[in-house]
Amino acid sequence: MTTTEQSAVNKSWELSLYELHRTPQEAITDNTEIAVSPRSLHSELMCPICLDMLKNTMTTKECLHRFCQECIITALRSGNKECPTCRKKLVSKRSLRPDPNFDTLISKIYPSRDEYEQHQERVFAKLNKNHNHASLINSIEEGIKLQIASRQKNRKNMQDDGTTPTPTPSAPSTPTPSEPPSTPTTTNTTPTSAAANSTTSSVGPRIKKQRRTSENESGPGSSNDGNPGDDAEGPSESGEIELVFRPHPLEMNEDNELIRELKDSSIRYIKTTANATIDHLSKYLAMRLTLANRTGELETELPSSLNNFCIYIAPTPDQYIGVGGSLTLEQINEKYWRVNKPMEMFYSWKKE
Amino acid sequence: MAQNIAPETTVNPSPSKNNSERAVSGRDSHSVTKRLQHELMTLMMSSDKGISAFPEGDNLFKWIGTLTGPVSTAYEGLTYRLSLEFPSSYPYSPPTVKFVSACFHPNVDLHGNICLDILKEKWSASYDVRSILLSIQSLLGEPNNDSPLNGHAAELWANQVAYKKHLHEHYKKVNGDGDSK
Repeated sequence: MTTTEQSAVNKSWELSLYELHRTPQEAITDNTEIAVSPRSLHSELMCPICLDMLKNTMTTKECLHRFCQECIITALRSGNKECPTCRKKLVSKRSLRPDPNFDTLISKIYPSRDEYEQHQERVFAKLNKNHNHASLINSIEEGIKLQIASRQKNRKNMQDDGTTPTPTPSAPSTPTPSEPPSTPTTTNTTPTSAAANSTTSSVGPRIKKQRRTSENESGPGSSNDGNPGDDAEGPSESGEIELVFRPHPLEMNEDNELIRELKDSSIRYIKTTANATIDHLSKYLAMRLTLANRTGELETELPSSLNNFCIYIAPTPDQYIGVGGSLTLEQINEKYWRVNKPMEMFYSWKKE
Repeated sequence: MAQNIAPETTVNPSPSKNNSERAVSGRDSHSVTKRLQHELMTLMMSSDKGISAFPEGDNLFKWIGTLTGPVSTAYEGLTYRLSLEFPSSYPYSPPTVKFVSACFHPNVDLHGNICLDILKEKWSASYDVRSILLSIQSLLGEPNNDSPLNGHAAELWANQVAYKKHLHEHYKKVNGDGDSK
């Protein structure tokens, strides 16, 4: 025991590598200021238990490690009686002592701790949003992959059956207005058969668009301009609405650049909250297409401006009524649809 | 002696203890979340090679971690997924860490349970996801063969060539193709 203590004492007299090699530095005599980044300071001022800035600092008497009072006392009560940082024995609270000097030091560096904490909350909120957003994108991308897979499988099946393997013109390419509304009467489970009804090849599993907040929609990827709908959308709890979203059969014919690219992925089945607005819908569409572009589902690059969508509803087969951006789906449903089946809506897009 | 103490004083200590415990559990959920957010942030900003972790879905109390076998060990080139579940008493008690991918190793059993002291009695509140994953990563290359969960692996360890061969065959068979996973 004594020998190890002695060697420890001896060791402390040896010079460290840095001390052996350092060269003398001129003393600063003028007004030069040295800046230390808050980040590099953070590890010194942080409690290793809560990872926050130290609060009511307690220092271990023997090994001089620092913790928040609350953290270290909880740790001692709930776990081993040793220093969380170095495992030195900590018999009880009496192995600790308050370190008000350190608290003063922190308050000198961060005069307003509240502000610091608020900032941190904001950072976390953003992180959380991104995390949710990332998982949303993931699920969307997974859906796209499934769609592609099932579409390829379908094509293959068609070839195997000896049917003409023509590259499946989708509903919009047949500009007979009566065609599209031969739509699903089943609401929930059969997007595939619904798609088959309307001469499209299969559109895989439907992507359920989850909308918890409007934030999810306008994540960092999409344009973050002040959306009139965002203000209107409160925490009001309204139901969900299902809708079938197709290209406008007249305005979006085969020559349309977008349709050429989208081919059979041009029809969308969407389930979303009833208080989503038309603006949300076109934003969703833009994001969705950008994603499809990025995952290589589309062969060529789409033009960057995907914002000029017009959205219509067709209460009767050949009547297309344009709807304004701030209307919610619920309002549209009330006004035009009122039937207990998915709303049929149409979009058109022009290059300009 | 105890008989001579006034009832009030004997009663008093326990409510005060209850109070403090309640205080701890009251702030628990928030402080655990905050701590996990801190960890997530550091992990996302750090550039540790060969380890990563992210919450599974929206639940911050369940994470999925991945780690790659350490270089110049039999595990080089293999990737493993692990699950980490955090109790509400985190970080005062350790998370439950298991291998999700099948892992042939002296200190990992067939269900993915890991025998590692820092996940049990040697846990310290200053350990975090990063240090856990780094510890498990180094455990891969330096097993403790004295208390094996997988006796076969422990016996085979002495012969590194045979060990590596068996390990890679096992990995391919159970986890699918080579390095892709």
